[in-house]
Parts: sequence; structure tokens; C-alpha cells
Amino acid sequence: MEIPYIVTPRKDTGLFNSKIAIWLFLASEVMLFGGFFSAYIFLRLGADYPWPERTLPVLPGLINTFVLIFSSVTVVFAWASLKMRQWGKFQIYMAITVFCSLVFMVLKGIEYNVKFHHQAVRLKDYTVVEGHLGYKVKDGVKVEHGKQPTEDQLAKDAKGRKIEENLVNFEAAEFSFSTLRHHKPWVESIMARAADQKASITLAADLELKTSPEKTVSFKAGSPLTVELLDSVKEAHLAARENNGAVRTDNLREQWEKAHAANPGKRDWEIADQVAVDTAAIAGQLMPEQPSVIFKVEPPTVFSFKPRDVKEAAASADLRDGTNLKGKLVDSPMVFHYVDAIDFRHLVMEAERKGIDPKVAIENSWLLKESPELKKIWEKQQVALAQLTKELAAKGKEPTAKDKYRIGWQELAYYSVTKIEDVKITPGKYAMPKAKENFKEEFFGPDYKVREKVPHPDGKHFGAFPHLTVPREQVQFASKFAPAWNTYYAIYFTMTGLHGLHVVGGALVLAYYLFCGKRMYLSNPEWLANRVEVGGLFWHFVDLVWIFLFPILYLM
Amino acid sequence: MSSHAATADHHGHDDHHHDPGFLRKYVFSTDHKMIGIQYGLTAMVFLAFGFYLMMVMRWSIAYPHQPLPEWMAWLFSDNWKARWLADGKVTGETYNMFGAMHGTIMVFLGIVPLGFGAFGNYITPLQIGAVDMAFPRLNMASYWMYLAGGLVMCASFFMESGAAKSGWTNYSPLAGFADGQIVNQWLAGQTQWLIGLVLLISSSLLGSVNFITTIINLRARGMTWMRMPFFVWAMLVTGFLLLLAFPPLEAAGIMQLMDRVSHSSFFMPSGLYTAKEGLADLSGGGSPLLFQHLFWFLGHPEVYVLLLPAIACVAEIIPVNTRRPLWGYKSMVYGVLVLGFLSFIVWAHHMYLTGMGPVVSTFFQTTTVLISIPSVILITSMIISLWGGSIRFTPAMVWACAFLPMFGIGGLTGLPLAFNLVDLHLHDTYYVIGHFHYVVAPGILFGLFAGVYHWYPKITGRHMSGFLSHLHFWPSLVCMNLIFFPMLTQGMAGFHRRWYNGGDAYLAKAKDSVNVFGNSVAEHIDLNIIMSWAAWAMALAQIPFVINLFISWKTGRKVESDNPYHATTLEWATPTPPGHGNFLTEPAVYRGPYEYSRPDCEEDYLPQWEEPKRGADAPAEKPATPSAH
Repeated sequence: MEIPYIVTPRKDTGLFNSKIAIWLFLASEVMLFGGFFSAYIFLRLGADYPWPERTLPVLPGLINTFVLIFSSVTVVFAWASLKMRQWGKFQIYMAITVFCSLVFMVLKGIEYNVKFHHQAVRLKDYTVVEGHLGYKVKDGVKVEHGKQPTEDQLAKDAKGRKIEENLVNFEAAEFSFSTLRHHKPWVESIMARAADQKASITLAADLELKTSPEKTVSFKAGSPLTVELLDSVKEAHLAARENNGAVRTDNLREQWEKAHAANPGKRDWEIADQVAVDTAAIAGQLMPEQPSVIFKVEPPTVFSFKPRDVKEAAASADLRDGTNLKGKLVDSPMVFHYVDAIDFRHLVMEAERKGIDPKVAIENSWLLKESPELKKIWEKQQVALAQLTKELAAKGKEPTAKDKYRIGWQELAYYSVTKIEDVKITPGKYAMPKAKENFKEEFFGPDYKVREKVPHPDGKHFGAFPHLTVPREQVQFASKFAPAWNTYYAIYFTMTGLHGLHVVGGALVLAYYLFCGKRMYLSNPEWLANRVEVGGLFWHFVDLVWIFLFPILYLM
Repeated sequence: MSSHAATADHHGHDDHHHDPGFLRKYVFSTDHKMIGIQYGLTAMVFLAFGFYLMMVMRWSIAYPHQPLPEWMAWLFSDNWKARWLADGKVTGETYNMFGAMHGTIMVFLGIVPLGFGAFGNYITPLQIGAVDMAFPRLNMASYWMYLAGGLVMCASFFMESGAAKSGWTNYSPLAGFADGQIVNQWLAGQTQWLIGLVLLISSSLLGSVNFITTIINLRARGMTWMRMPFFVWAMLVTGFLLLLAFPPLEAAGIMQLMDRVSHSSFFMPSGLYTAKEGLADLSGGGSPLLFQHLFWFLGHPEVYVLLLPAIACVAEIIPVNTRRPLWGYKSMVYGVLVLGFLSFIVWAHHMYLTGMGPVVSTFFQTTTVLISIPSVILITSMIISLWGGSIRFTPAMVWACAFLPMFGIGGLTGLPLAFNLVDLHLHDTYYVIGHFHYVVAPGILFGLFAGVYHWYPKITGRHMSGFLSHLHFWPSLVCMNLIFFPMLTQGMAGFHRRWYNGGDAYLAKAKDSVNVFGNSVAEHIDLNIIMSWAAWAMALAQIPFVINLFISWKTGRKVESDNPYHATTLEWATPTPPGHGNFLTEPAVYRGPYEYSRPDCEEDYLPQWEEPKRGADAPAEKPATPSAH
């Protein structure tokens, strides 16, 4: 049996099988990306926050665009070489194509990586602060203001990673673990922290449980917390739940039989409130259930949790795995070691929605009330803005919202060392990174070495505006520049990520023809040419998608 | 008899290949027929499972205060019962889980694989005279992806979180939050549902590419477009629906997956507050409506993906058993093409209540009413096909005949729902449930059962038992109507489709508040009990089928020829059962697919593959063009 039209086209359709298939596949891909592009339009039109425009580095994106277009050309050359039976040339062109995909992915990877390390926070009043979080130092270590802690002063987590100062700290006197849902890695890290702090976590009260109606297991008050202990409680609890469920079900069936006999002609729902499990009658058959286990912490010790894993209140906190902590919430600030920007655009948007004058709203923002230093910076920004407005008015233009309400780190540095009467709209040259560094930042993100060279207003240190401490209660929402930050970043990562997967998939197929195609070439070169043609069509599609992605995500 | 026919004991085999071994032949087969059988059996297992979930739900509806009886609960382990039942009673959470999975399993794992995967795979290449699908290995991959997707979804029943509970439509923000308490989101039922869905979509994508390519490029000599049996046309359109409608749902699935595992806010609005979690720790700014648009962009064409294979089966069975050509073949072909196109622009009639505005609603109301035209063309053509035929009431024909009125009820009850004013009242009531179950259960499933009985002799070489078939058919017909007709009544009386206790809780509260429906709920609540018993009886009615399916494989009456029904389409030109490569000689096609009872022929059928007779008294034939078009 041989399937026809694998190599030669069918006469009346003029197509070989895989060519039809790839066009169909691409049609479905168009619908897939069409779904995402529609989502983009939907989300952008419906955004209730200032949609980020031109926030991505254009240069690497532009380079990537040309890299892909170039590789689309070389893949055609590779196919043409095959058609002319020039294996050597095919190899060269295909190698260039695959190499281009590699360049594309590396640039993309760098772009992603920068975002994943860049922190943002939206305060309760909708002020947005962007920057870099500091790392937690070891207990007892003090770092001089304006200086960065050295590597060995930093605290590390169980996996040896540095810990960012964005944790909820809770001084726990008591833990109540959910018997069924406790998350083992979390229990282990709690035990490790206690051991580190020389605190003991012990069972609060004696437990008498049964693993079967006959067999009793007991746990003494004062036994230290272990994973095994929780496991045995879980085992007993499951056994009890199973036993009790069966006993109660049987009893309820009996009760219903009795109820039906006593109330002939009545429907269930009319007598339902009179029928219940007769707990007293079956008390002897029931086994004790233990849905949670309480442990005491002595002395009360501070434990830290990632904000997303915990719902905290003043005297109690709940972890996502059902663990409850009693004790008291202690100071849990977010500490920015570097602030890249302070952005009031979202605050202004909310103020306008409520009919409040944006300027008043900004002046009443927590940040400006809290920090006299920032208030001065804001005043200087107003001076500069007035100059800019005048200058633009001469050209018949107006300052953008970004000009008006966003203060970048260069301005922060400039304003913090410049007297208000000296403020000019071309900020001092020392505050600006040199063109070369600017170019570097396009690719690799904020370069904090440059920031550290900027003098601090106190004149003694370097690093303008180094620290900003945001108390937990001011935080409305915090995230890295990751999909969680807002719908723009969500769609950006999803679309480019999916496109990246297509690039990788396409490149793997093309690389397969490059490295493993020789045998096929020798036996049936036309078939290989067909396959490369199909792969090339896919590659064009990948390129085409990027040509749409680049403007909507980077330029618009 | 046809010149190409071989007798049953010839068993078409392929001389060029050795026996491929058990694994290659039955498990990792690339033969479209074996894959079709795999699809069919797997789909039936899933259908049975989905049916069982419904039986448990129906208990909760009819007897919400009583423990689940032993005869239904024995399938669960004691531990599972203790986790998911409260004193043996079905809880709301469990009901939701079963409801969501019932819908998902029936639609994505049951009917589509049975109609498109099984029948499409087995019959399509045979009917166009192809040796196999264009991409046999892709075909195999498609089956295995489907199985993996199904297993991933069903495995979540045994996880701490349980399976998905947010309805088969999986609307955000509910579905975005569900199982949020599970620390490792990859092990949450709701996430597994999405992963399973992405696998299923990839599977049907591979399948549809394969089908369309096969139909376009592998048609036999002389098989021009208008000589293709209607079945093949329906498969072509179904292929296009799957190809183009599923990807937007895949996009939605990926976005919801992002919402779940990376906490993005694609479908999460600002300021979302839940009783369990308080103010959501999310950026917000997303749109729940977006999910519904993307979901229903698939969801509506999906209805036709379910329906077309069933109509296709019935359209093949009717001409064979009436000995008449299919009435209005051409209008049916154009009808199904128009239907396919229109199905892409009606989706938002599922969303009249979302507040998308009267202009949008009006547009979708118009297109929805329009789409009833091609549907009616299809059904009417088939009904007229019966007119004046000498009908043979074979088991398949009995099912096919029942399909017509049952699907008719399903279709006609949909008309009121198309109008957004009426829909305001009926939305999310049992009326809607009754409507689409009439389409899917007694409609589509009957059509597919007809297909099973019809093609079984070709697949196995033996007929199914007629007695067992009637024992299957009549109780099923009665039960189906007893289950679904009361739903229409209940729906109009205001029964909400998501009441897990069948309205008891509503009645209990109704005393304290103004009851907008008057006493209609109290008046109709007893129907629950009739419907539930009918549903459980329906399960019994399937037992003859299962027995028939397996017993007949070994002991059924053997077919006497390769074309036992004296049919005209190419699948009957193959040996029985067809071997690897299908045809003994390369088939050629000389005429249209339904040449029955031609007055100029001696016999009452003239197969597509029969060479025209030479000579003066030969019937007039159009010359067979060597190529298609």
C-alpha cells in the first residue's frame, strides 16, 4: 500500500498532500493568533488603567524583525538550492536560517529576563513605583545608608537564593496545620526557620486518634513538629472520615426509611427538616476526626511568607494550604533599593474618574505626604514641566501624560541634587547615562552601576534616591513586570511566548532537515525539497506573525 | 453483484506486508480503520462514564436529602465517598464537578470522537476510494492525543481538588479562581481540565487537517466533487469547523491557564471580590466577556461538529433502506456548506444576558434565525427522501427514522431561544437543557447508533442481532422523551439549570420571598422523579446494545456478500472487513452516489464503481472524467 501524491502533485488539484496540509494548518494558526489579536484589541479598548505605550525596547525588537525577515529569505534560498540539487548551498542557507532563529531567541530571552527582575508596585492611591527590590540581609546585620550590602551579608533561602525584601513577616505563637491540605515544602521550610531561630514547634495538646475501630494511636503534647507526625495524623483522619462517612450514611438511610413509613404520601422536601443522622445512636461506631492539628511555637518566632501565599491580619494569618497562624503581624515593608520611576498616570486616571483635580490628587498622594524629599522633587518637576509646556506650545504641541506625570530615575537623580531655581529642562549631563550605556540599557535593562555613580543629595554618598520603603498596608498590588502586572504584559508575554515556541518548533524542524536530511536527499531529493518547502511556508508564517506583533506591542 | 466484490472469507489482505504484530496492528496502528475502531470504543467508554455522572446528578435532583443508593455508589471507593459526599448525600460541590465533567466528557470526549473520529475515520477514506488517510501517522498521533487529553481530565477526579467544577463552559472569573487553594496549581482539577483541553484541541487539529487533505487529494479516479456521498461532504465541513473554530478556544484556554498559573488578569476584572479570598490579589483590568466570546466562537460551530456526523450517517442510511436516491442531494451539499459558514457568525446568541448590547444581540439574532434555513433544508430533504420509498426497517433504519423527529424537536425548540427577548426568560433554565439534549441525545446519538448498526457488518463481517437492537431502541426512545420532554416544561416554569437539589432549596426559600414564578416550581417539581427514573432506566436500555456489540462480533449472522444491503457507495466495494489498503484493485467511479431504482437498470441499485455496460441497450452514462472537478 502506498499513499499517492506524497512527492508529486495530483494533477487536478496541482498540490501534493503536505502542501494542502500546511496551508490548512496555517489557516488554523491564523485563527489561533487571530484569537490572541482579538483579545489584544478587546483588552486594550477595555483597559481601565493607562495602557503602556512604547515601553518595550524598540531596538532589539527591530533587530529581531530584520533577523526573521532575513531568515525567511535564506530559507527560500535553501529550498531553491535543493530544487537545483545543490546540497552544499542548501546546507549553508539552512544553517544561516537556523542561526537566525537562535539570535532571535537569545534577544527575546534577554528581554524576558530583564522583565522578570524588574519590580513594580501599585499603591493604594494608585501611585505606581517601579524599580529594583533590595535583598534581605541576615538577621542582625546593619548596612549603612546609601551603601549596598555585600554578598555574604545577605540572607539566603533553603535553595541558596537571595531573598527579596517583599515578604509578609508574622510572629507566630501557634500554627494550625490542615491535616489534609498542608503543603509539605512549606511545612519543611517552617521547620527549618524554627531550627534556625532555635525555636521549638510542638504539639499543643494530646491527640487520641484511631486508624481502625480497634487500633488507637496517640500523640503526646510536646512532640515536635515533623512531616511524619502530620502524615500519621492524616492517616488516622482519613480512616476516621471513611469509617464515619459509611456509618453516618447507613444511619441516614435508616432514618429515611423510618420517615417514609411515618409520613406516607409526603414528599421528601416536605419532611426533610425532620430527618437527620441520629448521632447519639451511632456514637460508639464513630472514630475521632482531626481536620487540623495545632502546634505551639516557643518562643514566638517571626516567619516570612511570600505575599501571594498568605492572607494576613493583625493577629492571625492564613496560608494558601489551609495553615492558620496565631500571633502578631510585624513590619513587612517592600524595600526598593533602586527606584526607576514614579508614575502618577494611573492615579491621575482614577482622580479624573472621580472628578478630582489631578494635581491635588498627586499632592495628596501617600508618597508625597510621606517624603519631603519627594515633595521637593515633584515641585521641581512642575518647574521643568512649565518650561517644557512653553517650549512645546511654540511648536503647537502639548506635553504628553508621560511628560506630566511620570518621573524617571534620571529626573529623580537630577532634581534631588539641583536647587529649584536651577532646574532646566535639559537635565544636568552627569545624571544622564552616556549614549553607550543608554544603548546597553536597551538590551540589558537598568544598569545600576550607572545609578550608583550619581551623587546622593547628602553629598557624602553616591546613588541618588536609593531607598524607598513601602509599608505593606500601602500596597494595593505588586508584581514583577511579568504577566501578572497588567493585561498588557499578560498579552505581551503570551503572544510573544507562543510565537517564540513557534520559532523554536520551526527551527527544530528545519535543523532536522539540515542535519538529518542527507540520506533523504540521496534517496529522494524531490521529497526533501517538498518538506523544506512546507517547513519554509511555516517559517514565513512565523515571520509574518512577528511583523504584526512588533508594531502592536513595541510601537503602538 | 459488482465486478470488484470479493466474498467475505477473502478477507482483504495486503500481499506486500507481513503481519505487523499485535501492538502495531491493534494498539499503535496507523490504519484508518483500526484508528476509527479505537476512537469508537474509547468514545463509547467515555460516553458511558459521562452517562454515569449524569445518573448521580439525577439522584441529587430527585432525592437531594437521601444518601446516594448503593447501586450507584458502589463505583466510588469509601475514601472518595467520604471526601465528596456528605452523609452519603451528593453535595453541591460534587454536583458541580459532575455537571462540568458530564458536559465536557459528552461533548469533547464522547460524541465528537464517536462521530468525527470513529465514523469519519473508518468511512471517509472508503467512500472516496482511498487506500488510507493522507497522513496515517498523524492520524495515530491524533488518537493518542485525544486519549491523553481525556485521561488527564478524568484523572483529576482522584486529586485532592477533584475535577473541574466550573461548568463545561468554564467561564472566568469563576474558573480562574476555582481550586485556588491548591498550592501546586498544576495538580488542580481546573488546571488539568485546561491541559486536557489543549491536548484535545491539538488532536482535533491534526485530525481535521488529515481529513480535509484526504478528501481533497485522495479521491479515487472519477470521484468528482458532486459524486461524493453526502457523508464525505459533511466530514469535509466538519473538518473545516474543527480546523477554524477550535483555535480561538485554544487561545482562550492558554490565557486562562496563564490566569491560573501566572496570576495574570486576562479574564479578571478590576476590584474582584470573593467571599473566600476577599479582594483578589490580581491586577484586574481584564474582561470576563472576552472568555465567553472566545469560548462560544468555538462553542457554536462545535454544535455542528457534533451534529454533522450524525446527519451524515442518517443521510447514508436512508437511501440504502428506501431504495431511492437521496432527495435534493445538491441542495443538501450547498446547505451543509452554508451551514458551516453561518455557524461561525452566530456564537453570541449564547450570550444575550451578558449585556453586550441590543445592536450586537440583534445581529446575532438575525444570523441565528438564518442558520435554521440550511438546517431545515437538510432535515426536509431527508424526510422527503422517505416519501414513496420501499422502506426496509433494518435496525439502522429504525434509529435513523427516530433521528428525524427527535432532532426536529431539538431544532424547533431552539427557535424561541434565538430571539433575545424570549431568551431573557428561558436563559439558564431547564428549557435550554431540554433543547440541546434533544439535539444531542435522542438526535445525534440516535444517528450515531444508526451508523453503528449500519456499518457493523462491514467492520466485523457479521450482522448485529435484530432482536437486541429493537430491545435497545424502543426503551431508549421512550426513556429519552421521558427525560427530556419534562425539561422543556420545567424550564418554562422557571427551573434553573444549576439547581443541584432540583428546586428544593428554592421552594424552602420561596415562602419567605416574592416568588416571581408563582407556584410553578412546586407544581412541576415532581417531574424530577419521573425524569430521574427514566434516566436510570435508560442505562438499562443500553445493556442490550453492549451485549449486541460484543456478542455479534463473534456469533452474529455472517454477511453473505461484501455488499449486503445492495448499496451504491464505495465502502461496499471493499472486502469484508477491508484489509490494509482497503481495495483489492484501484477503484474507479462512474456515477453519483445514490443511483437507486433506476428505471433503466435491472436491479434497483447501480453502484458507483460498476463499469458502464457497452452496447446499444446500455443505460446512458455521463463519461467518467479521469480527474476530479
